Amino acid sequence: MALHPGWYITTSIILFAIGVYCLAVKRNMIKIVIGLEIITSAMHLNFIAMGYALSLVAFNPLTQVIVVISTGLGACVATVALMYVINAYRHYGSLDARRLRRLRW
Amino acid sequence: MSLSVPLILQPLIILFLGAVLVPLVDVVGKRVNAEKLKDFFAVAIFALALYKLYTLYLEVAAEGYVEFTIPGFGPPFGSALRVDALSSFMSMLFCGVGLLVAIYSIRYMEEDTGLDKYYALLLAMVAGMVGVAFAWDFLTLFVFWETMAVSGYVLVGFRKYRWEPVEAGFKYLIMSTFGSILMFYGVSFLYGMTGTLNFTYMAETLLSQNNPYLYLVICMIVAGFGVTAAMVPFHTWLPDAHPAAPSGISAMLSGVVIKAGVYGMYRSVFTFFNPAFYNYGAVLMIFGVLTLTVANLMALLQRDIKRLFAYSSIVNIGYIITAAGIAAYALTTYYASSPILATSVAVFALAGGLFHVFNHAIGKGLLFLCSGCFLHEAKTRDLTILEGIGKRMPWTGVSLSIGLLALAGVPPLNGFWSKLFIILAGLSIPQDGYMVIITAILILNAIFSAAYYLWVMQRIMLKSPTERVAKVHEAPFSMVLPIALLASICVVVGAFPGPVLGLADTAAKSLLSFIIGG
Repeated sequence: MALHPGWYITTSIILFAIGVYCLAVKRNMIKIVIGLEIITSAMHLNFIAMGYALSLVAFNPLTQVIVVISTGLGACVATVALMYVINAYRHYGSLDARRLRRLRW
Repeated sequence: MSLSVPLILQPLIILFLGAVLVPLVDVVGKRVNAEKLKDFFAVAIFALALYKLYTLYLEVAAEGYVEFTIPGFGPPFGSALRVDALSSFMSMLFCGVGLLVAIYSIRYMEEDTGLDKYYALLLAMVAGMVGVAFAWDFLTLFVFWETMAVSGYVLVGFRKYRWEPVEAGFKYLIMSTFGSILMFYGVSFLYGMTGTLNFTYMAETLLSQNNPYLYLVICMIVAGFGVTAAMVPFHTWLPDAHPAAPSGISAMLSGVVIKAGVYGMYRSVFTFFNPAFYNYGAVLMIFGVLTLTVANLMALLQRDIKRLFAYSSIVNIGYIITAAGIAAYALTTYYASSPILATSVAVFALAGGLFHVFNHAIGKGLLFLCSGCFLHEAKTRDLTILEGIGKRMPWTGVSLSIGLLALAGVPPLNGFWSKLFIILAGLSIPQDGYMVIITAILILNAIFSAAYYLWVMQRIMLKSPTERVAKVHEAPFSMVLPIALLASICVVVGAFPGPVLGLADTAAKSLLSFIIGG
């Protein structure tokens, strides 16, 4: 028995909210990057859910192509983000994003 | 090769191939003791791509648009590229500024290491932007968008041994990625409604729909592109990232990358969402003048010359977004009663906005390259120390003054015309109080920003040189050349605005062709 697509869309919105919370509240730079990844996953899930809602079979080639390509792009972004985390750690000896506050105004 | 490859793919292939080949050329160059070979190779690639874009423009001007789809995997599901007047206008602007920045970087970046990667990333960034302008479905747009953005993240942090680029780059990365994902999240809902990502097919379904839930999607897409375009609640990355990046990259970011955000916003809003059903114009106008006002006030507090120019970029984005708002608002409110008036106001406002995109790309590129010359010679970005440097560096100083006057909107220069067009479009329906108030705020801000541009000019050009800058000399020729070129473009376009304005007008009409039908 298949679930109604609305469930998946709701889950994706909840995931998105969790990711935004993570970006806004977390102070650890790696956790901020994880927040970004959660938002990306929410977007992917929403695409899959929309493809499912359109065709009502769990297999929609276009959405899967979109998600696979977007996963590759997400990996690039995550690599660059972690490069910045490593460099920030070398400069400050800490992963606390509150230390990155010299650039104000 | 050039015989079998379609013309529309040639600029993209040239730029991406150049990006891949630059490191190899560098290896060869080191073997034959020609360290600068990669620099000249990158410049040649940009020049070749610009020439191809020009030939493509000639074809677009003759045929209306040029389209490319993969045979056997075409629309509505496959990937598609289409170049119309707007894409052509934007892509030539992107590639032209890229060419000048590459020429500038030959001397400016010579103290840095890893320049093969620098040029490869610069080429990839411009290729991504040209691809964004060409893309005719959202997946292609997203792929090119991320190409542009990832290259931009790395280029901002190119001098990663200092703390400032690392902080600014991380902030830029988090905010900009959030924006692009938010945009694509909104697109996923549109996909659910239409079952395709191709612009033509999506527009067919969406333009006839009056669905209040779509307001949410409009918010997501406008906010997503607005992060890259530095619209006000999302602008905080820009004043950090622009000063931290090498000056050539600041000029790229401020001149064209934020314009890619504007392009995305213009394209998606005016293609998919019918202003007859959704009054997003009013909101865009409010965000536009909010951007103007906040950035103008913040610019006054700055002592760092590049930071001041960064805030002034946000100000100019404010004009461009207000222009889009005026166009959409006029279409929403007046299209039913008098379609000719509404259409002409919308075309007028959008042509002014796109003309301002051009003027700001030229002018702000010029200002950032000038500040890079000061930084290269005097090793400081502090305005109090840079006082009077224009007397020691006459070419750079005079070009900087031309750029400042152009952006201040002094009549014979180019910035005047575009601001005039936006203001005239805003005042063209005098009985509409809302538009008049918005335009009045815009005019006040324009005067206000002219004041601090003139203040910067007075400090740089008229004060007697401080001790620190008394010994500096004019920047090298290859750095002054792009600056002088940009300054002369400001003067020439100011004197003869006709051709560029004609391009902007055609671009605005082709942008609106989906809503108002040709």
